[in-house]
Amino acid sequence: MVFLKTISFIFVSSFIVAQNGHEIALNIYTKQFPDDLTNTMNMKLVNSKNKIRNYTMKSRSIDKNRKQIIWFLEPKSDMGISFLKIEHKNRDDEMKMWLPAFKKIRRISSRKKGDSFMGSDLSYEDLSTRDMEDYLFNLKEDQNLNGKIYYTLESIPKKKLNSFYNSHVSLVDKITFNIVKEYSYDLNGKLLKEKEYTYKKIKMFDTLEYIKVFNVQKKHSTQIKFTNIEVNKNISEDSFSEQNLKRIPAN
Amino acid sequence: MSYNLLFQKIQKWFIRQSLEHAKRTIFISISLTLLVGYGMRFLIIDDDLMKMLPKNLDSRKSWESIQQEFGSTESIYIAFGNKSKSVFNKKDLETSWDLVKKLRKLKSVDNIINLSTITRIDNVDGFLEIKQLQGEAVLNKNQIESIQDYLNKNLKTKKQLVSRNESFLLTIVNPNTLSGLNYFRDDVVGVCSEVLVDYEIHYSGTAYITGSIPQLIRKDVKFLIQIGLVIMISILLINLRNIAAVLMILMVIIFSLTFMIGSMGWLFRFTGSDKFLFALLNTSMPIILLTIANSDGVHVITKYFKEIRFLKEPKKALVKTMETLHLPIFLTSITTIGAFSTMAFSPLEPLVGYGICISLGIVWAWVLSSVTLPALIILQKWDVESKGLRTVSLFEVLIDRLSNTVLKYPKNMLISGLFIIFISFVGVWSLKVDVNLSSFFKPGSEIRESMDFMDQEMTGTMDLRIRLEADMKDPSILKKVDTLQQFIEKNELITVTNSISDAVKQMHRIVMDDSLVYETIPNEKEKINNLFSMYSLSGTIENFSTLVNEEYSSGLITSFSQVMSTNQVFSFIEKISFYISSKFDNNISIDITGMIVVIRDMVILIIKSSIMSILLSLLFVILVASLFFKRFIWGLLAVLPLSGAVLLNFGLMGHFGITLNHITAILSSIIIGVGIDFAIHFIAQYRMFQKNNVKKNLTRKTFKETGYPILLDAASNMGFGALLFSSFIPVQFIGGLMVLAMISTSFGTLIILASLMQIIKKYILTN
Repeated sequence: MVFLKTISFIFVSSFIVAQNGHEIALNIYTKQFPDDLTNTMNMKLVNSKNKIRNYTMKSRSIDKNRKQIIWFLEPKSDMGISFLKIEHKNRDDEMKMWLPAFKKIRRISSRKKGDSFMGSDLSYEDLSTRDMEDYLFNLKEDQNLNGKIYYTLESIPKKKLNSFYNSHVSLVDKITFNIVKEYSYDLNGKLLKEKEYTYKKIKMFDTLEYIKVFNVQKKHSTQIKFTNIEVNKNISEDSFSEQNLKRIPAN
Repeated sequence: MSYNLLFQKIQKWFIRQSLEHAKRTIFISISLTLLVGYGMRFLIIDDDLMKMLPKNLDSRKSWESIQQEFGSTESIYIAFGNKSKSVFNKKDLETSWDLVKKLRKLKSVDNIINLSTITRIDNVDGFLEIKQLQGEAVLNKNQIESIQDYLNKNLKTKKQLVSRNESFLLTIVNPNTLSGLNYFRDDVVGVCSEVLVDYEIHYSGTAYITGSIPQLIRKDVKFLIQIGLVIMISILLINLRNIAAVLMILMVIIFSLTFMIGSMGWLFRFTGSDKFLFALLNTSMPIILLTIANSDGVHVITKYFKEIRFLKEPKKALVKTMETLHLPIFLTSITTIGAFSTMAFSPLEPLVGYGICISLGIVWAWVLSSVTLPALIILQKWDVESKGLRTVSLFEVLIDRLSNTVLKYPKNMLISGLFIIFISFVGVWSLKVDVNLSSFFKPGSEIRESMDFMDQEMTGTMDLRIRLEADMKDPSILKKVDTLQQFIEKNELITVTNSISDAVKQMHRIVMDDSLVYETIPNEKEKINNLFSMYSLSGTIENFSTLVNEEYSSGLITSFSQVMSTNQVFSFIEKISFYISSKFDNNISIDITGMIVVIRDMVILIIKSSIMSILLSLLFVILVASLFFKRFIWGLLAVLPLSGAVLLNFGLMGHFGITLNHITAILSSIIIGVGIDFAIHFIAQYRMFQKNNVKKNLTRKTFKETGYPILLDAASNMGFGALLFSSFIPVQFIGGLMVLAMISTSFGTLIILASLMQIIKKYILTN
């Protein structure tokens, strides 16, 4: 029995070691994703003076977050504001916003990827779905994090992406291929952000439960906690319309 | 033990060290000078105006909190273009884009603002668009026209970034850190010289000037010391006619300078205090110490020459010289230190360091003149038959004639002297205080031209910052801010103001279908909230970071103005303060700062500092002279010539339109510190004759004995004239006024003091 375990360990290990950066990336990018995702996001922003701002938002998305609608619940001053985003492959993304005090829907222009989302440490580039063909991958030496060994995958954005990052270095779980930690470097090659991810298994999907982003240069951090996570609720494409921006769904 | 006995004991010890252990004394002096001088490597040159203000001053505290909360307000302004051509063309806008791209790569740069970095908010077909004003490097005709149209619609933005005749573009660059602005300045200028080859470039802003000054100071100090030394050596050589003697005086000077600069470096190294930064006003320090050290040396050498001429024996001559001069050199040093030490009470930070460090230099000059110089003299083989030692010099002949005239007509001489002082003193009423940096540079100099350009063509670079602690989403607050801005803009020198109210008004107009009717602050807080949320989702909310803090609990109003005179600054701030106190609730905390307020505060501090320095140093000199000469009358007589010189100085400043500023404010201390020496030497000699029971022609003999060294001292102090060659106008003024002060204090001693002593000799002798 011990012999068999040893043999199988050597086999699995040699298989793991044999993978290159591209293969690891392939495992990450081809992971199964739910058709739709609903959750409540609690976003906490902490600035360099330790001052805190909290937001609570309700989110629905389909197609790997390519279509997403967000309703603001808190702070009270923002209650009722909502935001619809539809990403397009070959043209500018669509973004619309409902301003309840003006009773107006306003389209907002396609934005710079480097701009921050709601003053957080997450940029629109961080929030948008990464396409594998937009990156080059290098497998670096494994790293130990809290006693566990992870793949270290370097992702370098291709020029056509016009990324605001020089590269990302991600620690990837060797079994689940979830990214647990990522270091993002700015265009000058200086460390800009440290990101940590925690996942929760819902049905068969590893869904994000917690994200922490620390902007090293600005000493500013953002934590997002996802609660009330639900997957595959058969949300239709029609839900992502201007009409639905105006009312916050009950559930 | 009485202090007389103690003094005699010390004097004997000093003479023994010089005579019996000459080589050891010289070795120790050199070693100590080198050890302290090593501190030079820690010396930092920095002329940040803000660092001169006391840390607890309201405007400095507000300024620091604004830097922390809203980012650096110290910027370099770069204007580039060609006078005859509009900048709204493909090439110039592409260059502007490239400039930002290259500047961003600099580690010293934090934030850049120009047409290619700012965002525009538009209403396009009923849809809100927030995007970069210049979206790409290379633009087509339509895109350029669109930028032009947008700027013509948003004139505040245009005023800040495009020159009045549209021929220059402005880029504002903020540093990463406020320390090492000279490196930041060099980095930025380096990139601009590379990118803006085909353009006329103008730089300005406090970061640029503060960053440029260290290099100018370095050049200036080096140049001034060289000229000062040349003047001094020439005068000494002509009068002493002995190279060895001149070299010995030079040694005292150079060692004292090394000691002073080194101690400033060490003090900065150990305290880290801004007081020990070498600023623009410190430029005069080396020249002043140079003249003080020279005085001590000149008195020792001339007295020695006089003694050796009669005694023919070097050792005896030296003992006699030092017995006569130890007390006056000690007294002149201590009174000079006293005058400069009063600067330690100055509210202006660098003046404190100035006072302390120059005092250390004077102490060392005293030690060197009292011990090391006699040691050098004794080691030197003097040719008693040489011309320098054997014959009297031109100044000695002059002194002889002057003493005859003064002592023949003492009353007339006294009245004439006092009349000149009175006429000059009338000018004090026209004396103006002005600390505006632009007036420090010569018209036509690069910095002055750039500053003038920024004033005439752009928004000007004098800023006023008003920080409010209030709910910056509250419509009533935003409306008050808006009306305050309108009030500020009524001043014709104010070119532009901006605040978060402007942004809210613009967003409101855009959301309401770009209707100008809605370029107002909405009445409902919910609407303002919606506008900010909309911006944070569609624009970079960081764009507001210079206008409002993250919590919207405090906001900043920034105004720019053309150069204001000190009077205009005072009346402008008074009006704003009154407006704020009458229109804003008391529970809203409002701080006013910026260059305009700093100028006002500096003016107040300079006047305080000057008055305090004059009174304290005069009091100190009276006390010390009274104590050592054992009669109060001597204290009063000692300050007479220099009081006259101080009145003459400030009066002439008024007559000639020379302004009082933080650099010329040190004049009174210098005049008192340097000018007291003459009177002390005169009184000390008079008392020595008195002590030795010389009864006949006391004043005449004193005049003859001290007149020559006083005149030679004053003449060789024409080294101050070197300051006339400074790149900085106030330092030039110091040079001119100090030359005048040397003449007035030396002649004040030889005419006013001598004639007065002649008139009241009965009173002096009988009491």
